[in-house]
Amino acid sequence: MKKSLLVLLILTLFLSGCWDRRELNELGITMAMGIDKSENQYVISAQVVVPSEVSMKTNSQGRSAVTLFQASGESVYEALRKMTKNSPRKIYPGHLLILVISEDLAKEGIAESLDLLSRDWELRPDFYVVVAKNTTASEVLNVNTPIESIPATKMYKSLKVSERNWAGTKGIILDELIKDLLTDGKEAVLTGIEIIGDKEIGSSKQNVETITSSTEIKYDHLAVFKGDRLVGWLNEEESRGYAEITNSVKSTVTAIPCPKKGKISVNILHYNAKVTGAINKGTPEVNIKIQAEGDLGEVQCPIDLTKPKTIDELEKIYEKEVEEVIHRTIDTVRSQYASDIFGFGEAISRSNPKEWDKMKEHWDEEFPEVTVNTQIDMKIRRIGTVNNSFLEKIKD
Amino acid sequence: MGFFKKKTNTKEQSTPPSQTNENSSPNDLKTSLQDNIQFVKNSLGESSDIVIREIRIGQDGSVKAGIFYTDGLTDTPSLQNFIMESLMLDIKGTGLEKKLTPGHNLLTALKDFAMTVGEIKDLTNFDDLFTSLLSGDTILLIDGYSEGLVMGNKHWVERGITEPASQTVVRGPREGFSENLRVNTALIRRKIKDPNLWMESKVIGTRTKTNVSLMYIHGVANDKIVNEVRLRLDRIDIDGILESGNIEGFIEDSTYSPFPTVFNTERPDIVAAALLEGRIAILVDGTPFVLIVPALFVQFFQSPEDYYVHTGIGSLIRLLRFFAFMIALLAPALFVAITTFHQVMLPPALLISLTAQREGVPFPAFVEAIIMEVTFEILREAGIRMPRSIGSAMSIVGAFVIGTAAVEAGIISAAMVIVVSITAISSFVSPTYNMAISVRILRFGFMGLAASFGLYGLAIGLVALILHLCSLRSFGVPYMAPFAPFNVSDQKDTLIVVPIWKMFTRPRLINQTNVVRQQDPASAKPQPPKNEESGE
Repeated sequence: MKKSLLVLLILTLFLSGCWDRRELNELGITMAMGIDKSENQYVISAQVVVPSEVSMKTNSQGRSAVTLFQASGESVYEALRKMTKNSPRKIYPGHLLILVISEDLAKEGIAESLDLLSRDWELRPDFYVVVAKNTTASEVLNVNTPIESIPATKMYKSLKVSERNWAGTKGIILDELIKDLLTDGKEAVLTGIEIIGDKEIGSSKQNVETITSSTEIKYDHLAVFKGDRLVGWLNEEESRGYAEITNSVKSTVTAIPCPKKGKISVNILHYNAKVTGAINKGTPEVNIKIQAEGDLGEVQCPIDLTKPKTIDELEKIYEKEVEEVIHRTIDTVRSQYASDIFGFGEAISRSNPKEWDKMKEHWDEEFPEVTVNTQIDMKIRRIGTVNNSFLEKIKD
Repeated sequence: MGFFKKKTNTKEQSTPPSQTNENSSPNDLKTSLQDNIQFVKNSLGESSDIVIREIRIGQDGSVKAGIFYTDGLTDTPSLQNFIMESLMLDIKGTGLEKKLTPGHNLLTALKDFAMTVGEIKDLTNFDDLFTSLLSGDTILLIDGYSEGLVMGNKHWVERGITEPASQTVVRGPREGFSENLRVNTALIRRKIKDPNLWMESKVIGTRTKTNVSLMYIHGVANDKIVNEVRLRLDRIDIDGILESGNIEGFIEDSTYSPFPTVFNTERPDIVAAALLEGRIAILVDGTPFVLIVPALFVQFFQSPEDYYVHTGIGSLIRLLRFFAFMIALLAPALFVAITTFHQVMLPPALLISLTAQREGVPFPAFVEAIIMEVTFEILREAGIRMPRSIGSAMSIVGAFVIGTAAVEAGIISAAMVIVVSITAISSFVSPTYNMAISVRILRFGFMGLAASFGLYGLAIGLVALILHLCSLRSFGVPYMAPFAPFNVSDQKDTLIVVPIWKMFTRPRLINQTNVVRQQDPASAKPQPPKNEESGE
């Protein structure tokens, strides 16, 4: 009994799958990867970390912290393996933080190129996917960044921080992207990334040696997909509108007009949006219910904040502003792209699956016609460390 | 399990030679003093430390007597004052001298009236004579008698009671056992003045004739276990026992298991506590290390100090010891497994930092780990064996080998140095040396598994280890008790230490019959006196 158990244990040792032994210095640690397409070939760019340049140890020789390897092939996997022709180490994508897809490829469709990334055991499907706007993925990965010496880390952190504090961008990880591609009644969006400045200087060390980098990579706009194809872009205001509808606001600052003139900034701290669908007399209807709480961050007009009435008034203004942004966003998306990125269809299917089954075949026609009701409730909790603005006391 | 199948062996126990009652065997003392002296001299090869003094006592010196003792083992002043003087001088002032004529009751008379020595025994054969003589007793033989007297006046130079070198504590008694069995039993008696503290003596070793004592509290210790210990001790048949480790080797349950199933200690307070829990102590003459059985896994994580300090810190330190045990066992293996198989588990920044350190390191992580571990074991062994005076030179060299020099030379990565160092330090956290040894042995096995199969191999190794631990027994008690079999009330002294007033019972598996330590749990908790008058 005891012996057979031991034999069993030893046997199981040799029956394990995914078995690969590699020393740390045999890994080409890839933290960002880009996929482009040219002439029916996938061009894969891997931003590989040069560990000795990144580490705290002092033997850094002033070389670049990352290096870019490129290879092209019929498939993503083939291209990735081909990369060993010019890389001394096998690409190790386990710590991939960000995947950049070029706009051209996105327009053709991204689904085929994502299969490997979700299938391969070495990859964790929790990296962000972004679309390179007006440029190729390899060019985005070719820019040196200040503060974070690894551009991939910069891209990852910027997206994370801005998503959390600004809400105009949206960090979509591979799993979410695939889920969006598969869900009926919800289309995918991805954040766009663009290069500002001279692309030549961007790849040199020179770019980070000056106070102002001459070339920057920056997130802006949301890419709207229909199916797996990119159909257009949302501008900044629409991107925020998208975030407000889909409840992806964690914290943000919104400027609203004062009752008379000037602006007031509201720092939103708690935000909750709920999209519910309904079928009303055979026609689909969507209700968006938003509850927001925030502080006054900046007051640029002379109003009396000590009066509760003023606060009520400001809350009303905010509610109106948000409502307008939401409707403008929905209108743009409906009129230009006809792509249900907000998940209205999904909301309806949840509330009434039977009706949805009948409707989903021609949802594309229904979507632009759906009635959208909004109900916004905003509360201002605090007004900061001073009461009325000193602006009031400045005499002309 | 072991209780029953070994019973058949009882009849084989070697009967002491003195029990053979054949008439006038060569072993019996002879009547003639001269013959006896000659026999002793011949048997001992006329060794120079054996002193044989012939005297004449009684009326007109009519009785010839011989005094035998071993120089150096016998207390010479007491020999002169209480034996020689009594026989040769003091006796003359009494009427007794007249009775001391060659007659039948001479020895009895001497024993009853003349010898001013506490411990005195009759002697009839040479085996006993040699044992007593070589243990340091004084022998008196009288011409015309085939009997003699043994006077106990052993005395030799020995180490005093000093602070134990192992198992040191900050708070707690400073005394440790010494090499003398009597001193050691006295140290225990001083702590437990219970008439039920029983002691059984055995002589083990056909040539060394080492005194071994079995101590237990009658009525508290489990009789079955006491019997089992007795049986196993009686089975030992060897020429010499030099240290309690020899005894341990004979009586332990599983010789090839890396885990100790017999506890050893230099501290009387640990032995006393163990006796009170119902364990059995085995004291061996000539060594300060006392054995305690049965010994369970958790016992090796219990330091006497845990019970002397605040329960909070006692519990935290107990947990820390288990944690350190896991580090000492697994840290290098985990490091090797994660860095060569499961890099995905590392946070990106750590991965890059570790990779940067490994740039230029020529060996695989496993070889690196083995080099460092072996180097450390060499240093540790050298540190113990070498003369004290070279100690400082040693530590300087050691710090170079396991340290920045090795890293700067590009042979070893800095992270590996940290891992090996933390492993080494963790292995010293164990309050008992035994458990640290078992961890040392197992660590290399785990490193091998980790290097070949990664975390998967480690998991398999741990499963095998747990199976092994659960299959071990110490004198019939499951080694992993009270974890497996699980016993709720015994958890009071395992991962945490509850306050002493909450320890109502003794460990259950060791002591099934008499488990109650505190009769009245309700009144055990310290509290201010209740003011009965105010009726609050």
